[in-house]
Amino acid sequence: MPESVKPHPERAALVPVVEALANAAGAALLEVVAENDMDEIALRPEGLLAVIDVARRSGFNLLLDIGGTDHHPLQPRFEISYHLTMIPVGNAVGKLEAPRIRLRVFCHGEDPTVPSLTHLWPSADWPEREIFDLFGIRFAGHPDLRRLLNPDDFVGYPLRKDFPLRGLERRFVPGGRAGAVPPVKES
Amino acid sequence: MSTVDLRAYRDNPDVQLFPGDERDTLILSMGPQHPSTHGVLRVMLRLDGETVVTAEPEIGYLHTGIEKQAENLFWQQAVTVVDRADYLAPLSNSLCYVLAAEQLLGIENIPARARVLRVMFTELTRIASHLVWLGTHCLDLGAQSIFFYAFEMRERILSIMEFVTGARMHQSWFRIGGLAIDVPVGFLDKMDDFIERFPERLADMRAIVERNVIIVDRLVGVGKVSQEEAIAWGLTGPPLRATGIPYDIRRVHPYSDYESYDFDVPTQTAGDCYARFLVRLAELYQSWRIIKQARDRFPGGPVTIDDRKIVPPAKTEIQHSMEALIHHFKLVSSGFNVPEGHVYQAVESPRGEMGMYVTSAGGNKPWRVRWRPPSFYHTQALKRLAPGNLIADVVAIIGSLDPVFGDVDR
Repeated sequence: MPESVKPHPERAALVPVVEALANAAGAALLEVVAENDMDEIALRPEGLLAVIDVARRSGFNLLLDIGGTDHHPLQPRFEISYHLTMIPVGNAVGKLEAPRIRLRVFCHGEDPTVPSLTHLWPSADWPEREIFDLFGIRFAGHPDLRRLLNPDDFVGYPLRKDFPLRGLERRFVPGGRAGAVPPVKES
Repeated sequence: MSTVDLRAYRDNPDVQLFPGDERDTLILSMGPQHPSTHGVLRVMLRLDGETVVTAEPEIGYLHTGIEKQAENLFWQQAVTVVDRADYLAPLSNSLCYVLAAEQLLGIENIPARARVLRVMFTELTRIASHLVWLGTHCLDLGAQSIFFYAFEMRERILSIMEFVTGARMHQSWFRIGGLAIDVPVGFLDKMDDFIERFPERLADMRAIVERNVIIVDRLVGVGKVSQEEAIAWGLTGPPLRATGIPYDIRRVHPYSDYESYDFDVPTQTAGDCYARFLVRLAELYQSWRIIKQARDRFPGGPVTIDDRKIVPPAKTEIQHSMEALIHHFKLVSSGFNVPEGHVYQAVESPRGEMGMYVTSAGGNKPWRVRWRPPSFYHTQALKRLAPGNLIADVVAIIGSLDPVFGDVDR
């Protein structure tokens, strides 16, 4: 386990779990950091499924969110952030603690691919489609990877940092296929 | 998971959309302009008779690229676009963003008056949002009169908002470092009037709807979801609490001093539309209790922190002080830099856990503002909630999830 792990007083109970998660990542582990808001584990995509497997067995049952970030022009370019929390099931719930944890998966800019979590959480479907739509990151194993927010014939990935704020000029072409898309000049 | 391939269907209407399924099913496109969809949503329903077999929501009609716009504005300016996502609860959006930015900046000394006002106004927003839900949800079910009760009460809240912030809908009143302006003279009288009238009005509304036989018949047992499934589908807020899990961010991860307020987290155990209905009705009263406590403690003092690198000086001071003018000029022309880092901040919006994962690269604009929209996950759960119910119940299920499409599509 790397030296950077600092036990946080309120998160002491989570330390062994974080350690187990870091071990599960194996060679894909980049770093383990105790951030102010929660513990986080940074890793490469190939270690994700092993870490998620341990996390689920440790009780992290609610996938709060999957988000994408483009760190262009830095490399590795893309970050996929997973926020997990645990909620005990059953009516005899005392004080709900719901500790959170964050996984940051970094992948390079050329053909970025991350394993899909749709077989574990049905809620992973739309966020993964949204990230595919807005960042062009592929999720291996997603059953239905289509654009979600933009139309199917949209060209480009709007939340990438090299996509112009004002968008690409789109011409209407009968039949619904987009024409050539020269970038709009920034005024 | 079966999905309707619309492009194949458009090119060739004879294409078999569900290979291997011999049942005589009908594809029905509900929306995007269906009155019950609270914004714009299309649900592709596959029907066997009147029973829904599969439901595939289609979203994106209100996608306005708010996350991209926020990346291209100064930290303080981004409050205005962040406000516009969940348009029924704009102050919850701003609170979430502002708290995240304050965490990155390391600001902890927000004045007590600003904290109390933030709580008071997010709770007012919650009441206003739940009243819109109550009115429109019952309207969807065919009840007309409750709509007028709910909107009359909401109008009072909006006029308080307008009186204080100058805007009815998108107040952008919360700022990094405090509030935009202090409340005007006469504010407390208006609040006292509201606090006094609301319980009676709420009792009227509850009397109309709570045991109304039509509403009970339409909602009980419809759109039922278990605790395990609610968690697997990422439900939070009232839909999760309606299954019996008291998961409320105000309690679990308190912010803005919520731990010092006395309120209950209403739960139900049935997990159906009626349970969600009762949870929201009970939340109206709890929000009123919080507002009343905030009114009672209402402290004096400033509403912003005393840091000229974040909060611009008062206009009167600019006319006399060169230094104040420089600070004003710097803040207006280039904003302020936020130290490198990232943070996840969640608040309990009227719909559920609204989270923001904000990344700063050290510049004067946010590098990335990733939203966790509660409505997004709730709308997705239609895929699980609608099948097995009648087509008329889909309207009740959508209403009971209370999605706001500005929040779903951003």
